[in-house]
Amino acid sequence: MTQANSRAGMDRRGIITSGLVLAAAQIASPFVIRARAADAVRIGLDNPLTGTYAANGKHELEGCQLALDEINAKGGILERPAELVVEDSTSGDAGAAVQKARKLIESDKVDFLLGNVNSALALAMAQVSNEKGVLHIVPGGHTDAITGSSCHWNVFRVCNTTQMEANAVAGALIKEYGKKFYYITPDYAFGHTLETGLIKAAGALGGEKVGGDLVPLASVDFSSYLIKAQAANPDVIIFLTQGDDMLNALKQAVQFGLQNKVHLAGAQQEMEPLEGLPSEARIGTWVMEWYWNQPGVPHVADFVEAIKKRTGRVPTARHWFGYVSTWTCAHAANTAKSLKAAEMAKSLQDFHLPPEVALGPNPAFYRAGQNQLIASLFVGDAQAGGSAPDDLFKVTKVVNGADVAGTVEESGCKMIWPTT
Amino acid sequence: MTQVVLFNVFNGLIVGAFYALMALGLSLILNLSGVINFAHGGFLALGAYLAFTLIPYVGFWGALIVAPLLTAALGLVIERVLIRPLYGGDPLYGLLLTFGLAYIFEDMTRLIWGAQSLPFQVPAWLTTSLSSQFFFVTGYRVFMIAIVVAAVGGLFAVLNYTRLGMRIRAGTRDLDTVSTLGVNVRVLRSLNFGIGIYMAGLAGVLAAGLLGLSPTLGASLIMPSFVAIIVGGLGSLLGTLLGGLLIGVASGLAAVYFPSASEAVIYVMMGLVLLVRPRGLLGEEGRLH
Repeated sequence: MTQANSRAGMDRRGIITSGLVLAAAQIASPFVIRARAADAVRIGLDNPLTGTYAANGKHELEGCQLALDEINAKGGILERPAELVVEDSTSGDAGAAVQKARKLIESDKVDFLLGNVNSALALAMAQVSNEKGVLHIVPGGHTDAITGSSCHWNVFRVCNTTQMEANAVAGALIKEYGKKFYYITPDYAFGHTLETGLIKAAGALGGEKVGGDLVPLASVDFSSYLIKAQAANPDVIIFLTQGDDMLNALKQAVQFGLQNKVHLAGAQQEMEPLEGLPSEARIGTWVMEWYWNQPGVPHVADFVEAIKKRTGRVPTARHWFGYVSTWTCAHAANTAKSLKAAEMAKSLQDFHLPPEVALGPNPAFYRAGQNQLIASLFVGDAQAGGSAPDDLFKVTKVVNGADVAGTVEESGCKMIWPTT
Repeated sequence: MTQVVLFNVFNGLIVGAFYALMALGLSLILNLSGVINFAHGGFLALGAYLAFTLIPYVGFWGALIVAPLLTAALGLVIERVLIRPLYGGDPLYGLLLTFGLAYIFEDMTRLIWGAQSLPFQVPAWLTTSLSSQFFFVTGYRVFMIAIVVAAVGGLFAVLNYTRLGMRIRAGTRDLDTVSTLGVNVRVLRSLNFGIGIYMAGLAGVLAAGLLGLSPTLGASLIMPSFVAIIVGGLGSLLGTLLGGLLIGVASGLAAVYFPSASEAVIYVMMGLVLLVRPRGLLGEEGRLH
């Protein structure tokens, strides 16, 4: 051992000791977990807490936590206390999401699995939950396959399919702006299905795709695409990007003054990007899946107050997704009077959410044979500020999900139940 | 189509200038201290967030001046406490440390400012387009070019016409001799690091006006900086400048013909440069030993 080596910091003994400590920590952890309440019903949340979707994941978590407290205040699930076990799936690493899902199911022995914001991760996790026979609710992953071609008996979804969103907003886009669409589409599962859905829905009304670009996720600069889009001379540039990509694209489009030459709109929109935009960029026609400002709809104001008290802000659709997902777990167990996944899944077929969970003007139910929640969609225009500084969306039409959901056959879902 | 191509080249130069600003700070630190500063993106994001917090008090222009200075001050502290002990050792240690720092910065900004993207308000007269035909030439982008030119000009002036600059240039060639000649090399490295971080902070404030302000801002911008340095050549600041402009234009052109590759094309360029001319376009041989 030379002088230089020992001065460089870690010596051999230090490395061995830290290695042993790390190994011990790995083995010791299940014992730590077992120290939790032995009779609690566990709900495992495997959602992004870091990365691009961290904000969405955090809001879904806050919705889950509110629901959890309400559930426990009412006696819990099957008379037992309910507990939330939270894991960070990361925003894009399917391997991490799957590993966490396995950990939740095998080590933490969760009775329910919730997640993921990222459609691709949700699909990967669904494989695991199906293999292990655990009831899985997807709060906010939109790609059609989750309750379509890759549907499973144990997987339920709260948010809309991309086809439903497209069907809801296509009419408004054509009526407001015209028939020639240029698509700026994020290059992954969600983007592809949303674009396909909107082309189909708009096409049925005479809409035409004059051009489009598949943009890599987490693109930073959209100027090239906007230059191309403007050159194609459309009536409206359709932004299908989400999250920070939506923010960057819209911000840059408005800086270019494109809204004076061409209309800017899209399909799915959420509060999170709208809040991050400068006020002059809060424009366009979009569809939201849930909105906090619903005058005249009972229970919504209470939910808004409850979230405001916990987080200091109004709820977004993500809060509602988390809230509904967690309450769905409680209702599934309490209705089936059992924690067996197959029995709970059966009890959720055509299950109608009570109004204080549905929080919308139309009934909300999980469609039998597809496990897809059919509720309401809110078509409207982004605005810099309405009745309140956080009233960033003016709802022009509430669409009944049942009118835009198509049939179960069209979704491509062929549900196979386990033969117990 | 030619018009679209030309527009994209022109726009690519604008974006490339921004990449060059980020990469120059990184290159400065790498050349003198041999430290591969993976936390550069983190400092960039920190500059942006500090500007966001300061704007209500000192306005946009005040924040533009103060935020990079604050970031540089933090950079000096980190250099003194964390990075100085690693000089002269394996460059891997510096890389590991700054890599970890990058994660810490990201989570720290998430903890302090939240995971939500924040609305960064730039003065309204800046964010309008200057010409109807060349609509992508906005006041903000011209302003950005002006700042980049001023910063790069300032940097080259400091390096060529001040004693500090002369010592930094000498130090990048042979630090031992400079030390033997009586220059306080520790202070020199600190100041050099501070200048590099100042440029990161400045790039951060500019980025926030263009992009969304979220904790992942740094992570999304760090890689083009590295590619700019590798393409332009290690050891050459002019090369870094050129590298930044090149990758900006390449990315813009790729978006015209093959959009899915617009992010990947800069890595393809890096790969080609490494295969054909590993020292980079204007780099010096045997730089990183």
